[in-house]
Amino acid sequence: METAREPAKLVYRHNRVTRLTHWVDALALMILFMSGLQIFNAHPHLYWGNASAPDTAFFSIGAANEDGDLRGYLEFYGRQIDTTGYLGVQHGPLAPSTRAFPSWLTIPGYYSLAGARRWHFFFGWLFVLNGLLYVVFNLAVGHLRKFFFTLDDAKKIPAMIGYYLRLRKESPQNGEYNPLQKMAYTTVFVTLTPLALLSGLAMSPQLNVEFNWLPAMFGGRQSARSIHFILAFGFLFFVFCHVFMVLTQGFFNNMRSMTTGWYTETLLLPKDPPPAAREIRPDIAKALKSESPPAQEIIELVSVADIPVDHARKASTEVLPEADSAGSTSTEQEERKDGEPRS
Amino acid sequence: MASQDPKLTRRKLLLGTLHGAAVVALSGCGKLFDSLSQNDTMNSILESAEHVNRRVHRLLSWRNKLAQEFSEKDISPVFRANGNPPPVTTEYVEDAAKQFVSWRLEISGLVQKPIFFSLADLKSMPARTQITRHDCVEGWSVIGKWKGVRLEELIDRARPRSEAKYVVFHCMDTDGDGKHYYESIDLIDAVHPQTILAYELNDRALPVDNGAPLRLRVENQLGYKHAKYIRAIEFVAGLETIGGGKGSYWADQGYEWYAGI
Repeated sequence: METAREPAKLVYRHNRVTRLTHWVDALALMILFMSGLQIFNAHPHLYWGNASAPDTAFFSIGAANEDGDLRGYLEFYGRQIDTTGYLGVQHGPLAPSTRAFPSWLTIPGYYSLAGARRWHFFFGWLFVLNGLLYVVFNLAVGHLRKFFFTLDDAKKIPAMIGYYLRLRKESPQNGEYNPLQKMAYTTVFVTLTPLALLSGLAMSPQLNVEFNWLPAMFGGRQSARSIHFILAFGFLFFVFCHVFMVLTQGFFNNMRSMTTGWYTETLLLPKDPPPAAREIRPDIAKALKSESPPAQEIIELVSVADIPVDHARKASTEVLPEADSAGSTSTEQEERKDGEPRS
Repeated sequence: MASQDPKLTRRKLLLGTLHGAAVVALSGCGKLFDSLSQNDTMNSILESAEHVNRRVHRLLSWRNKLAQEFSEKDISPVFRANGNPPPVTTEYVEDAAKQFVSWRLEISGLVQKPIFFSLADLKSMPARTQITRHDCVEGWSVIGKWKGVRLEELIDRARPRSEAKYVVFHCMDTDGDGKHYYESIDLIDAVHPQTILAYELNDRALPVDNGAPLRLRVENQLGYKHAKYIRAIEFVAGLETIGGGKGSYWADQGYEWYAGI
């Protein structure tokens, strides 16, 4: 079972902006998802097209009273599944209650469409502004490029799956992110997020007036609503996979890298050196500098955050690790990969 | 399962701890969010998003674009009625039986000239017909064909004073506590070409369930802004004195006054 490992070395993996926006994003996604389920509860049916004629829903969560016995069900294209206790009907301390998604999955837990909308729209803005900060900053420092999925990565997908399934000893990884990671992140960035935002905006009557094409691009307002709901579960799926990978690929090491930035690298050295570090482009730096005070902050963060990253890159291209020059202690240097107990 | 492998027990311990933590976190989180949802400070923070939405939308609305209009074949078979049941007063019921001959629309408040209109007066004025989609805050949509008089037409006749900023609709329907429905829009929405006072739905006199004799259509807003059973229109400078102070039956119950989203 023992595979040869390079001596552990500490790399500065996540800059400050990435760490901050990651946790804000985690909070925003959780609140958006749970308040979204509460909003759905106000009309737990999904349709295709512009309007929602009764009995044309392709998806419903409901409750039926069968001789005084409340039964929850999920209906998909006419097929019903009994979901009593989870969907449609929830067991309560006194009596069962009818609600599509149970209270422990919604914000607020009690029924409040108005309350859920307040949470949803506030955190919608936070999600967008936070995402913009992340994208603008990381485009400027050249971080985004490192996990942008390319055709070359697509070819490595089978090998990467093989590696995870322990069918292959060597990871096809080349650079800081492996092909599956790149595929997951790129999908979230260029497909899931923009479509979730657009389908959400497509439900706004005022924005429908301004941009008639918005609901039309999804096939009508009710289609936009259905797609928005489905995409929310796309995010849930991504978060499940993401958390599963964090738990199995070194929980403490990953958590540390997303809070302090430092990650203990134990992967085999890649055959090809990763692309050279990209400096922040002088024209971007200039443009940012001429803007308002928040941009000044970004510049400060760039200069502080970028130094250790460069050292880390140097470390991975040269034979001798010298990441400690960035100020890490020798105890951190000797740390082994966390989360994988060795007996 | 009798394995003494330390790896396995450690994994079990970890999973057990995580499961326990998740249960505690979920119920704790639920309680936290429930109390935050009822906290005034938190709500005013969350409501800031409504003001941002309104401002951003207003930045776009100078172009005076129209809401999408549909064709006859898109009209929904049933125009779902929601909200309060129709008024049950003898006055309303008897008038409804006589096609609302006694009903008058009162226009008052900050206007040069308070006026009353009968249904016949309104029908004799230039009409606009539009097939539009109605979006309920709950999530459903219906498409209907409306005919009515443009609100701007009435504004031109009543000539609001310069202090007037909002148009308030006083309605005849009541909730379970007997409280009358009321709603308001600003003058920007009031003069939009598609903002009409409708007296016909799908080529027939406006049905009682859908707000007879007169209801508002304000196509860039959610359904609850479309006041039904209108009795009077009042021009005001501020909404503080209307209903609970927010100028809208549902806004006074926590929904957004600006319902463009």
